[in-house]
Amino acid sequence: MSEDSYRRFLDPKVVSKLATMELRARLVVEGFVTGLHRSPYKGFSVEFAEHRQYMPGDPLKHIDWKVFGKTDRFYIKEYEEETNLRGYVLLDASASMGYGADRITKLEYGSYLAAALIYLMLKQQDAAGLLVFDERIREFIPPRSNPRQLHMLLSELDKTEASSSTGIGEVLHELAKRMKRRGLVILISDLLDDPDTVIPGLKHFRHMKHEVIVFHVLDPREVEFRFEADATFRDMETGEMMTTEPLAIRGDYLAAVSEWTARLRRECAESRIDYVQVMTSTPYDRALFSYLEKRKRMG
Amino acid sequence: MGFTFLNTAFLFTAFAALLPLIIHMISRRRVDTIDFSSIRFLKQLERKRIRRVRIRQILLLIIRSLILLFAALAIARPTLRGAFEGGVSTHARTSVAIVIDDSASMSRRANGGVLLDEAVATGRAIARLLSGGDEAFLLTASSPTGIVVRDGTFSPDVLADELDGLGSTEAGTDYRRAVATALEYLGASRNLNRELYVVGDMQQSGWEREVGPSAEMSSETGRPGEIAGDDVRVYLIPVTGPTGNCAVTSVRLERRYGGTPGMYAVVAEMRNLAARSCEIPVRLFVDGIQVGQTGVTMDAGGGGSAVFSTAVDVNEWHSGWVEIPADVLDVDNRRYFVIHPEERIEVLVVRSDGAPQSGGRVGAPEGSGRVGAPEGGGRVGVPEGSGRVGVFDDAYYIERALDPTHSGVRFRPVMLTTAALAHQEQGRFPVVVLADIDRLDDAGERWVERHLSGGGGVLAVLGGGTDIRYWNTELLPLLAGGSILAPVERRSGVRLAPVSTGHPLLAGLVFGDRLIDEVAVRKAFQVEIDGADEIMELPGIGPAMVATTPPAGGVTAFLYTGIDPVWSDIPRSGLLVPLLHRIAGRLAEPAARDLNCLIGGDLVVPYDPSHAGAPVVLLPDGGEESATRLGGPRGGASLRVVNHTGIYRFMENGELRAMGAVNLQAEESELVAVSGAEMVGLLDPLEVNVVEPGAGLGGVILVARHGRELWRTFVYIALALLALEMYVARPRFAR
Repeated sequence: MSEDSYRRFLDPKVVSKLATMELRARLVVEGFVTGLHRSPYKGFSVEFAEHRQYMPGDPLKHIDWKVFGKTDRFYIKEYEEETNLRGYVLLDASASMGYGADRITKLEYGSYLAAALIYLMLKQQDAAGLLVFDERIREFIPPRSNPRQLHMLLSELDKTEASSSTGIGEVLHELAKRMKRRGLVILISDLLDDPDTVIPGLKHFRHMKHEVIVFHVLDPREVEFRFEADATFRDMETGEMMTTEPLAIRGDYLAAVSEWTARLRRECAESRIDYVQVMTSTPYDRALFSYLEKRKRMG
Repeated sequence: MGFTFLNTAFLFTAFAALLPLIIHMISRRRVDTIDFSSIRFLKQLERKRIRRVRIRQILLLIIRSLILLFAALAIARPTLRGAFEGGVSTHARTSVAIVIDDSASMSRRANGGVLLDEAVATGRAIARLLSGGDEAFLLTASSPTGIVVRDGTFSPDVLADELDGLGSTEAGTDYRRAVATALEYLGASRNLNRELYVVGDMQQSGWEREVGPSAEMSSETGRPGEIAGDDVRVYLIPVTGPTGNCAVTSVRLERRYGGTPGMYAVVAEMRNLAARSCEIPVRLFVDGIQVGQTGVTMDAGGGGSAVFSTAVDVNEWHSGWVEIPADVLDVDNRRYFVIHPEERIEVLVVRSDGAPQSGGRVGAPEGSGRVGAPEGGGRVGVPEGSGRVGVFDDAYYIERALDPTHSGVRFRPVMLTTAALAHQEQGRFPVVVLADIDRLDDAGERWVERHLSGGGGVLAVLGGGTDIRYWNTELLPLLAGGSILAPVERRSGVRLAPVSTGHPLLAGLVFGDRLIDEVAVRKAFQVEIDGADEIMELPGIGPAMVATTPPAGGVTAFLYTGIDPVWSDIPRSGLLVPLLHRIAGRLAEPAARDLNCLIGGDLVVPYDPSHAGAPVVLLPDGGEESATRLGGPRGGASLRVVNHTGIYRFMENGELRAMGAVNLQAEESELVAVSGAEMVGLLDPLEVNVVEPGAGLGGVILVARHGRELWRTFVYIALALLALEMYVARPRFAR
């Protein structure tokens, strides 16, 4: 399969057409990694060894003596490094995540993204776990790095459906209490909950020394509110209905959404939480880049 | 003020205003339900924004409804009725009286035609605004008022034909009479919507005649004479033309005193009514031949005169005219006259009753150098105890002065008493002298009145026989008006003096500022006659001799002192004969005998009663009519209500018996129009609309009749609402 063929698997629409979750995850990651060859980014890979010139301060144990013997120069060899990262992928499966105006729902997008991340983590010998929640923890699979873990997690993602209302804050607090070892928490959610409960939940992880990445998944229509005719809007979580004139209130709606996302971004930044807003139309490589950046910083 | 619609049939379209509401209700039912991830942000907006949206929706609903409402109402032609509403509904039938000024002034040149053409065009425009079932009357404003269409049933063709048939006349203008007549027709109309249109040049002089009750018009219409003008809309529609005009305003013939009979001075008066001075030639025509020409220079608004001398054969009829060059109004550029110089003038000398019968000559008392009279009053000239009256009375001296040689060459006096006056042939005597008479009987008064109205002259000599109370109440009003005061006596006498040394009657009789012969007057009456031409006076007392024009016509002259030695020295002076000849000659002038008349008047000429039938009158326009029967109330032969200027010839069996001249009324030459502001108050208390030229007659009339149309305003409002709707409903996703 050519590089371009893999690249198209970063498109959410294309990915959604694939048969199984594993296939989806694999192709996304393969497509992403293939793309890296042309990028200046030098992420780490268990298969790839990199030599670089020794710099004062580098640990001496990392010097590749074989190369020294051949070249009489000091080079650092990094591939042998092992990781003990425990990654927790938190997927919001509340009813609001079932919204998708353009074929793919937020939950589907989040599931594929979660699958790709899990695939990537496990490929790197990291431990990956999954927590599916709505107003409560619906499913929790602790992180492991054995080969069966991938199949288990992907199966779980495959059968996840959106339902019930959102209770992000409580779920985050509960998970934070459960996590004993320091790890990477990846939250995939539309965050349609009270920010006053969501932010403290995220900060709880930080308080527990966990690294946190938040993938804020939104549908373009939620952000742009492009509705023309008068309509009655039914809340997918509460069933509440409201009739309004979209054209007339669009400006104020956009202002409210913008204020809401700005607050989330600001609060996350203050807590050193990576906040990544993605639309269901956003290619997956952006999310994967964010993950790799974070992974790199964590060493 | 009232509000109505001209196209009520379209009012149903106003229901279109409900369309936005209906659409709104339907669209509310059909609104789609959309599953949305969360409406938490919508709920945040609900309290402020969505409420505003609802208000905006309601506002848009109202605006859209109003747009359709105003558009629909505009189609229905909304109108606002004004002050003239009078409770008349929009579709009420209309009665219209159109008064077209066809007077002489409307024949002035304007815009390639004459002014009347514009007036007729305006009349046709008014007629076009009428419809079946309306009434229309057509009248003319020339004097007398012409009623062209009196059957009010409106027929566009008939009215148009009648309008086209109008031609400018040479008559004067009498707007008030025409308006009064038109109002009577409208007052008798069965329609509630009544309109009067007066179309003309609004000549100022045409509005200056006062109008009394128009009984004659009522009799013509056969309807009650009530003038119900308060519910009539009156429109004055001026048609304007050039006002610069020169005119011959009068022609006067003056006998050359002391000359051969038939010698005349023709004095023509001209006026320059233009805004700048002019120098024009003036020509005199006699019997169709130009016999004189001179030039006259006139300042702007001023006048001038031209004097011609001419001689014509005596005892023959002659006609002529004075002419100036053509200008904007031609009809007043020529003025006609006729002359019939008589070789011998018969003068009727009337003395008080009891005197010798006429025809008998009264001889002077032999050996008597003076006339005796009782001191302190009584009859003058009646010898005491004589039993005879008037032997040396005023009549005696007058008769002698008129024909001193008993030859009868120039004057032939006929003496009679007051009782015999009524039996005299009317029209025979051009001049009558009331020689110190005390009174006349009723028949005598009527005779004198007819004599004056026939153009005759009267010389009244006041003396000792004058019954002041009778004269003041009966005779003086007939002769002149005014009143006689008590006689004034100066034993030493007061010298008779000329008032004006240039007076034509005194030509040759004045030396310096005095008369050629000193005449002392001892007793005289003080008399007050307004507007009299004072010829001689008694310094310190008042006028002594005057001439005036009585109400009935003709000319009268008064001598306030008696012609006898007790009252004055006139009988002894050398003044008596020439003065009486001149007075009698003046009173017998053909002009004074109404050979000339003005348009609209009755032309009366002296006519020999021995002729059997009424003469045929050859009219100046080539037509002919029969004169009124001879011996009518004014004597002579008369032709009623003449309508054309020119020379009228009274013919009998192919022979010319008399002539008369008819001229334009001088005020018709004054083309100055009433100003717009003045027009409004012309028919007070009627409310008048003045439609200025170019004001859009049709629009003004329709606005007044039906109200001011507001459809344009409604369209503008609808467009403004549409703009407002577009602003309010504009898309708002700028953010």
